Amino acid sequence: MPEAMLIETTPFARNKPIAVPGLVVAYRDGVTVASIAAYREKAVALSDLIEATYGVALPAPGRRVSSNAITLQWSGPGQWLAIAERGQRGGAVRDLEAELKPIVAGLAAVVDQSDARGIVAISGTRALNVLAKGVPIDLHERAFATGDVANTHASHIAITIARLDDTPTFELTMYRSYATSFTDWLRSATAEFVHTQPR
Amino acid sequence: MRLACPCCGERSLDEFTFLGDASVTRPDPSADDAAGAFHAYAYLRRNAAGPSDELWFHNTGCHAWLVVTRDTRTHEILGVRLAQDVALARTGNRKDVRETSA
Repeated sequence: MPEAMLIETTPFARNKPIAVPGLVVAYRDGVTVASIAAYREKAVALSDLIEATYGVALPAPGRRVSSNAITLQWSGPGQWLAIAERGQRGGAVRDLEAELKPIVAGLAAVVDQSDARGIVAISGTRALNVLAKGVPIDLHERAFATGDVANTHASHIAITIARLDDTPTFELTMYRSYATSFTDWLRSATAEFVHTQPR
Repeated sequence: MRLACPCCGERSLDEFTFLGDASVTRPDPSADDAAGAFHAYAYLRRNAAGPSDELWFHNTGCHAWLVVTRDTRTHEILGVRLAQDVALARTGNRKDVRETSA
């Protein structure tokens, strides 16, 4: 009998690239992700400890912060998502759940989400035009500045969206099983832009 | 209709799910009149024509339960509070409830 093989694949691996002038769609693979949920009345102590360890405190509701070592993204009341590159220089592999658990013991629950989330960055001059077709919140910089985070939906698919810069670049985090549905929507939302240049 | 979530700000209705009347509280099942109290808890509603407290869930947002005070005649939203804060104010600081923010 042939030996059963599990082949690691990424959330967006089955989706063909989306090539649209004025838009860059970059699927973010090779990341380690962990959710952090503060225990009752421990959020302040937790934030202080995170800051002492990584140089950045837990962000306020609706905000995201990054240092060289880690990105911390608000994801709900008393909850955050920690994101970092899995592969490190020298070939080491980083696992945020294993890394964070001993640090925040007694203050927060930490659960690995690396294989539970699909992350995609959408940037370019047409990013706002495309996202406006499915995301119901105002993403213009006057309402959604760099470092802002919101839990909302894209065409009824629950997402956490963050503005990374003023290109603009948006990073969307979704449940992994919705990655294909999301890409199907993104493909139809970008279809009208495929054969024209941005003004 | 738009709801101003205390966590997320003003959002459209399609991010929320309606549960029902927020003015009722679950009775003590070990009380002598538990059967009657549960009947009232499950079925009896004021059905007010005017301001009424309702439970809403921010299901594609912060996943918080909210108590929304809505005028049933005009759909005017008179207030939105975290259901956790409402419950804490009602019962005192219970040990099984976690704090809402950093």
